Amino acid sequence: MAEPFKRYRCTYCGQEYDEAEGWPEDGIAPGTRWEDVPDDWYCPTCGAEKADFEMVEIG
Amino acid sequence: MQIPANLAQTIVDSRAYAAGDPVDEAFRTIRAEMPLAVAEPEGMEPFWVVSRHADIMTVEKQPDIFHNGDKSTFLTLKEMEPMVRFITGGEPNLVRSLVSLDGQEHKDLRAVVFPSVTPKALRGLEDDIRKIAKTFVAEMLEKAPECDFATDVAFLYPLRVIMTVLGVPQEDEPFMLKLTQELFSSADPELNRDRKEVNPAEALDGLRRTMEDLEAYFGVMTEKFRANPTDQVNSLIANAKVNGEYLNRRQLMGYYIIAATAGHDTTSNTTAGAMWALAERPHLFEQLKADPGKVNAFVEESIRWVVPVKHFMRSATQDTEVSGQKIKAGDWMMLSYQSANRDEAVFDDPFDYRIDREPNRQIAFGYGAHVCLGQHLARMEMRILWEELFPHLKSIELAGTPQRTISNFVCGPKHVPIRFTLN
Repeated sequence: MAEPFKRYRCTYCGQEYDEAEGWPEDGIAPGTRWEDVPDDWYCPTCGAEKADFEMVEIG
Repeated sequence: MQIPANLAQTIVDSRAYAAGDPVDEAFRTIRAEMPLAVAEPEGMEPFWVVSRHADIMTVEKQPDIFHNGDKSTFLTLKEMEPMVRFITGGEPNLVRSLVSLDGQEHKDLRAVVFPSVTPKALRGLEDDIRKIAKTFVAEMLEKAPECDFATDVAFLYPLRVIMTVLGVPQEDEPFMLKLTQELFSSADPELNRDRKEVNPAEALDGLRRTMEDLEAYFGVMTEKFRANPTDQVNSLIANAKVNGEYLNRRQLMGYYIIAATAGHDTTSNTTAGAMWALAERPHLFEQLKADPGKVNAFVEESIRWVVPVKHFMRSATQDTEVSGQKIKAGDWMMLSYQSANRDEAVFDDPFDYRIDREPNRQIAFGYGAHVCLGQHLARMEMRILWEELFPHLKSIELAGTPQRTISNFVCGPKHVPIRFTLN
């Protein structure tokens, strides 16, 4: 069974990246896993880098 | 629930912010006993006081429900509103800047400067900023053994940095500093337009005259950058187009003003406050000297500690709830960053200055769509200044009593007299 999609949150502004939704505006298709998001992608709200996101605890 | 009059009065009182402790004490009580309640200080429209860190995040995460620009974006007297609307042709804020915009307009305008202030873009500026830091450090060291760190370093260094980023010539810096201080310190007789005690109507008139000077200055700048575009931020603003049109006059002026003023005053306040904290805590300075890698933690704690923007206001666009509290459409709300950065639910020993907070969840830059556009630049320039300064210093102590600006909005220390010895 496929791993459930996860969400990641920017520690600087709270912007969330949801693997299920991807970030189509930046060419990141829905379903793109966090590890497959390019390392040079940055937070679309505040510009923080991918490394500055943390996984959102579910539940 | 209604906040008692004495507490409501304290949390809007510019002199209480200048004193420091009375505001912290008032918010400590408010957080504990009435964390989301209504205040009605004399002469003001009633507003909700959002005092908890978590509630501010809740509000800021919903920018469509909680608007910045439908009412005044900062605390203001009821009697001021009709005057401001008269001056602006119906708008509730004298300056139409990013902090007072909503929806698509906010998104479009933010996007103009955003690519220039990401950490990635800023890396290209590190060397230039370090040169500026070295200049101010050298000037400070020449003043040994004493200086006013606020006026000699903290006000000037971030100003030089932001003016370089914007594309403002160095000779215009004193003019920009003066106008910024007038804009944010209308209640302080040392810094306001008329350099004296003024009543609210006189203060507003002073602000209007300051705005006129700024508009005249930036009008010339717009022409210059349209004729000869550069990659500096003011050129990006001058040449930006939304739906094929240049920004209108209010948008242009608002953008220049917010970039020029908020772009250094907040960092200046934080830098001055950091030095004040350090001068009172020799053990902290020892820790930083022993482990220079802690400089980022020091910067972050400085921001939490100083909270250079004390509040922003929002208003609800629809009936809604925050933490179970019903909020009605049209309600005005004060997001107190001063309070949130002392929230006991988030910070251990919130009234202690500590560089071991990992992570440091300070919320002084705001959160969500309106999070401070220049936050990464602010952190970077403060880090660089301390990296350049600390290796020269053996000891620091206060050489007098520091003073804060009399203001309840964007403010911090205006005098930080220190005595220092060199390595």
